[in-house]
Amino acid sequence: MRAIRLDTAGPHTTVQDFGRVGHQALGVPEGGVLDRDAMRLANALVGNAADAAVLEVCLGGMGLTLLAPVRVALTGTCETYLTVQDDTGMALQVQANRSVDLVAGQKIRLGPLVDSNTATLAFSGGLMTPQLYGSRATSPSAGIGGVDGGLLRDGVQLPLGDVASDNEITPEWQGSDLLDGEVAHLRAVPGPQDDRFTSAALATFFSTPHRVTPLLNRMGMRLEGPGLAHVDNADIPSDGIVTGSVQVPGNGQPIILLADHQTTGGYTKIATVISADLPKLARLRPGMEVCFSKIDVAAAEAIARDHEASVTAMLSRLAPAAPLFDQGALYRLGDTT
Amino acid sequence: MSRASAHRRYLAAGDSGVIVSFDDLPMASATLRARQLAGRITADTAVLGAGVRDIIPGLNNVCIQYDARYTSSDKIRKIIDGLLPDLDADAAIVGQHWQIPVSYGGVHGPDLDEVAKATGLDPDEVIRRHAAATLSVAIMGFMPGLGYLKGVDETLYLPRKQSPRAVVPARSLGIAMDQSVIYPMESPGGWNLIGRVPVRPFDASRDDPILFRPGDTVGFTPVDAATFADLDARAARGEAIITPVKPAAGKNS
Repeated sequence: MRAIRLDTAGPHTTVQDFGRVGHQALGVPEGGVLDRDAMRLANALVGNAADAAVLEVCLGGMGLTLLAPVRVALTGTCETYLTVQDDTGMALQVQANRSVDLVAGQKIRLGPLVDSNTATLAFSGGLMTPQLYGSRATSPSAGIGGVDGGLLRDGVQLPLGDVASDNEITPEWQGSDLLDGEVAHLRAVPGPQDDRFTSAALATFFSTPHRVTPLLNRMGMRLEGPGLAHVDNADIPSDGIVTGSVQVPGNGQPIILLADHQTTGGYTKIATVISADLPKLARLRPGMEVCFSKIDVAAAEAIARDHEASVTAMLSRLAPAAPLFDQGALYRLGDTT
Repeated sequence: MSRASAHRRYLAAGDSGVIVSFDDLPMASATLRARQLAGRITADTAVLGAGVRDIIPGLNNVCIQYDARYTSSDKIRKIIDGLLPDLDADAAIVGQHWQIPVSYGGVHGPDLDEVAKATGLDPDEVIRRHAAATLSVAIMGFMPGLGYLKGVDETLYLPRKQSPRAVVPARSLGIAMDQSVIYPMESPGGWNLIGRVPVRPFDASRDDPILFRPGDTVGFTPVDAATFADLDARAARGEAIITPVKPAAGKNS
């Protein structure tokens, strides 16, 4: 069986895919990868189907051993490298957004992420942990998916699917600002409970920067700002929640709800981050300041369609990557002019 | 515009959700209306067209989640407006009835005495009144399989605890205001814990991991600690220790 072994799982590494869709009425969160664009790119780079399960590495600090020949790609970060080591001790840096063919026994290390909160790592064949409701995604807060429903631990072995045919060419992403663009500007639609906030609070929300606090996990991201006042209070009869909802409890400090959010909730939501900007939330780091700009539903829907076109275009711009393991080049160096 | 569609308000949840709210109706009618709509569109999801990802019944509303790449808020609102006038003829979600054994008090219900003190009842009377009511699964959320069970005897209404517990054991039975919950798994929680149940509201290893769902009704049968231990051991082995009665007593209750 093809597999990888996590030697050092890191503080917050999970198995993810696009999540389990359609069961929120039963309290089952959708979950799924925080950065869908990065996951699609990573899977494309290793030749997987778009929805193959990947590793989502929050904060970084992870190391693993390949137990079979595997094509690997790291996405979602530009400045953090994979360090690949073989049993001779030779180490090599592999940049993000390209794939690399590795052999059994080689080890990969990912240092602390410096430019993003989350990186995505795809393996040819995809991770094959058990499915629940058609998904392998881990929602640690709900205790479902992945391995025993939780964060991955040191020493765990993860099976990989089979690879149909070996493509000789490892691809490389040819660039666009889709994955390395600025993330601090978020577009949001007012509501569903914007009428429960004072007009001053709404004006503040759409004009004043908010800081990302360290209170950040797959359920939500707590922001810190000048405080957003409610007309009366923060309670509503519970309603269904979408990812990207900006919930404001009684203390006036907003929380952006992420993939593992509760399926229903009883707090007012001042606005909703548009779907095209959700991947940016995975790249925000504590201490960064974010600004919200107001748009309406129709404009947000148009951006969603444009965004899909951009992602499709991004995936069409993969090209053969420069070889990494051309050891002969070391000896040919003297011949170059 | 018909009377029925006048009683609805659309709220935007960005470009991925439309919330149909019945919040200008009294709560009981709004809940019924939300159940009718959720029942109608869940039974026949095709009616909403392609691109609808999920339908989540809320207390007085229904949240329809969609993928803006394939449909739009406008499209969904028009379809809902077309459905609302005929809803009265449709049945709301009518579910099954689950009679659930409970070990009340003691280590299983550490807040029972406090609840008794706060309500001015003795503990046995709290148990009697809690077990006498038939509760309905209004909505679900918080974690897989956790239902908000409405219809707690009003003499038992209490707020949630001032400071939530960091760890509530799995299958604890809690009460707050007019609702009860059963925690499907260990989690933090602020409800007043009055007992524990042997059934698993969520078990990923079952063919259908979820036990009860919106529209179902739930009743409670007090059992002693020994019976609880026996049932709990059987449930842990994957045995189905209770079977539902269908349909729930009283349509639309």
